Amino acid sequence: MLLNVIATVKLGCRLDLNIIAHKARNVEYKPKVQKYQRRMIREPRTTATIYESGNIVCSGANSEDQSRVATRRYARIVQRLGFPVSFLNFKIQNLVATCSTFPVIRFCGFFTLHSYEPELFPGLFCSVIPGITATIFASGRLTLSGNCILEVLTILLLLRKF
Amino acid sequence: MSFRVCRTCGGADIDVDQARGSAVCTGCGSVLEDNIIVSEVQFVEGSGGVSSAVGQFVSADGPVKAPLLGSGFHTSVGKESRAQTLQSGKRQIQQLGSQLQLNQHCLDTAFNFFKMVVSKHLTRGRKTEHVIAACLYLVCRTEGTPHMLLDLSDLLQVNVYILGKTFLLLARELCINAPAIDPCLYIPRFAHMLEFGVKTHEVSMTALRLVQRMKRDWMHTGRRPSGLCGAALLVAARMHKFRRTVKDVISVVKVCQTTLRKRLTEFEDTPTSQLTIDEFMRVDLEQECDPPSFIAAQNKAKMQQLEQELARKLDEVEGEISCYKDEIETELEKSRPKLRGIYAAYTKEIDPEDVEVLSSTSEPEEREVEDAELQAATQHLTQDFLCQVIQEEEEEGRANKTGDGEQEVGPEKEGVGPQRQVAPLAVILGKLPSSLDLQQTFQTFSKSETCHKPDDEDSESGELDLEGIDDQEIEKYILNDNEVQVKTELWMKQNAEYLKEQQEKEERIRKEKEQGTYKEKKKKKSKRKEQIEALTAGEAIEKMLEKKKISSKINYDVLRDLNSRGTGSGGGSSPSRASSDPPDPNNTNTTTRKRLNRRRRKKTSEANQDLVTNASIMGKRFRRLISSTSKKKKTAPQVETSISMTTKPTETAAEPSPEPEPDVSSTLSAAPPPVEEEEEEEEVEEECVSALKLVGDYGCEAEEEDVF
Repeated sequence: MLLNVIATVKLGCRLDLNIIAHKARNVEYKPKVQKYQRRMIREPRTTATIYESGNIVCSGANSEDQSRVATRRYARIVQRLGFPVSFLNFKIQNLVATCSTFPVIRFCGFFTLHSYEPELFPGLFCSVIPGITATIFASGRLTLSGNCILEVLTILLLLRKF
Repeated sequence: MSFRVCRTCGGADIDVDQARGSAVCTGCGSVLEDNIIVSEVQFVEGSGGVSSAVGQFVSADGPVKAPLLGSGFHTSVGKESRAQTLQSGKRQIQQLGSQLQLNQHCLDTAFNFFKMVVSKHLTRGRKTEHVIAACLYLVCRTEGTPHMLLDLSDLLQVNVYILGKTFLLLARELCINAPAIDPCLYIPRFAHMLEFGVKTHEVSMTALRLVQRMKRDWMHTGRRPSGLCGAALLVAARMHKFRRTVKDVISVVKVCQTTLRKRLTEFEDTPTSQLTIDEFMRVDLEQECDPPSFIAAQNKAKMQQLEQELARKLDEVEGEISCYKDEIETELEKSRPKLRGIYAAYTKEIDPEDVEVLSSTSEPEEREVEDAELQAATQHLTQDFLCQVIQEEEEEGRANKTGDGEQEVGPEKEGVGPQRQVAPLAVILGKLPSSLDLQQTFQTFSKSETCHKPDDEDSESGELDLEGIDDQEIEKYILNDNEVQVKTELWMKQNAEYLKEQQEKEERIRKEKEQGTYKEKKKKKSKRKEQIEALTAGEAIEKMLEKKKISSKINYDVLRDLNSRGTGSGGGSSPSRASSDPPDPNNTNTTTRKRLNRRRRKKTSEANQDLVTNASIMGKRFRRLISSTSKKKKTAPQVETSISMTTKPTETAAEPSPEPEPDVSSTLSAAPPPVEEEEEEEEVEEECVSALKLVGDYGCEAEEEDVF
């Protein structure tokens, strides 16, 4: 149900992107266009954006634990290339999850902050108060994206619908 | 125009002539006023004898824009630009609105929205066109007019989604909840465009009923209302025997063919479609359907369930096979040397079988191979067992043929079957090259991964420590020296331009540094106010004067005199005061206030004539002074000077007589030098406040005095 986890980490030291670009596999670095590097790891399948300041943004993991492992992997690789790395401030920024609520949901008249624009997008956007956006479709599927513990909220929503 | 009395004769009867602009006393005939300002329309004769009215039209909103090309520009540019934006916005709204045939009320509302938007600074960074279109669409939505966002985008030649983005943003910012679009709104409009002639009304009524039916069948959620309308109109037209092709409807409704067809098929699925025309007009079926996307999802779920069931069955069979496999293995272990020749034959058989598995060919072949494989591998097992297994597989294979995706599943399972046999064999035998290949090929199947080496990596990834991460794996990510060289060369070639630019930049910086003209881009630091350092109060005041431009209506000489007098008498006390000032600015302020109060009261007791006028004049002066010199510490001394100026000049001489006064001035003057400006300002402001209060007190005291 959890589709994507985005997390950030500070490595605590400046990185020379050129060296990393030369020495590591699966790196994309175009200094003209972007000021950062993009690395990919097969296991767990994630993409990391590495900045010169030493910040890493890791996305594509399937769970919070996996995300942590993946960021540690990236940090380890950078360490092996010869930079004094320290794993600071691991913070999960965003979680995306889907769930399906089989009873059919009526549009409009539910949450306070909702926007439904049938001409533009078939789904209804709701923002539940704790800071999570839910996209509800007519088939009964929900896509939730936000920062907090989503599972609790999916349960809440299901209860409400019933 | 109220004239009291005529000056000469004292008569109150005055005749005012608007035309001539004069006021004349009817008693004595003396002219009291001439050239009165008149509000009459004047006419001027132009060239060719044309008479035109003198004057200009003034716009209802915004400041009066005098058409002075030269001098008009410099005055208050900020206001003008805002007025300009609003004016141009209004013009554009009128333009677009007339194209959409909106009435004046809607246009006014749109202009109001636009004003709100401008005041919230939402126009910045966006094209005015988009903003105006969004405002108009907002009006359309709130009023319920049958205008679509598509219409607006057609007019402006802009992407609908861009307009939609702007529209959503504005709606959110202005906290306007536009009600959802009802497809019923669009029907009359489209019906008109489809030219049904006399029967337009009937057709639109039928179409309305259809749309309502669709709504109840939950077809409208998440769909463009125009699509639904198109489908409904098509059906309605056919029902009333009008020939409207899909293309006609599409050109009016602005959806594509497939959408229309899809809507029609969806409607077909509903039970309402089974009714005849007359029945439909009369009867309303109570049953409601689920939305079509929901139905589609349900179908998918059903399919998945079926597949799962089949998979389970196959698993069961596999389970049985694996039991036999284990037994086979044990037997094989026992009788290893005997079976070598058989292994060779076995592996050869597996290779062609593997190929077959990958290409997913027909099942009987695989089964035959499997039979052969089983027979070859299991000499020791009873043939009955094998026959049973084979028979079961055959049955399963036939059952599998019925499902859709099962042929893929079948070979997969069978592929897994032999693969499972292969894997343990491979382990037993040691690595044969063929078995390695097999292993790699089997990796393509999702299930096969569990049997092979990636297991090790998975278990390691479970640990969260840095040390737990497999170094070997990470070394794969780091390149060898040769590879590094190659990569650097490639990368340099690719990014050559960028590197050149960087080098040039650095050279430039170096040159500038040598020259001394290099300006590093610093972030804007907040302006720190410099502290005025002055030895005496007088110097401080002078520096303040220089810094901040003060009005010319202050007598500086008097100021300086005050201070000189103050420092002379209060010189001894000032240092002590100064030391106590910073910790207790409030106390001094209160004391000064009290002292000023006392001073004022003494002055009120002295002043007798025209207290009210004086108070009013002082009030005005305070206000002016305070407004122009809000942050000056000198307002208090200014107050003093003003008082001294307004009240009788003799009082200035009498000022030194009340003793607290020099103390007051000394405190005031002593306050500034050690204290920072901010505190000065605070004091000043407090004194300003106190001054205002004093004016009030003054007035009250004046009244009290009058009572007395």
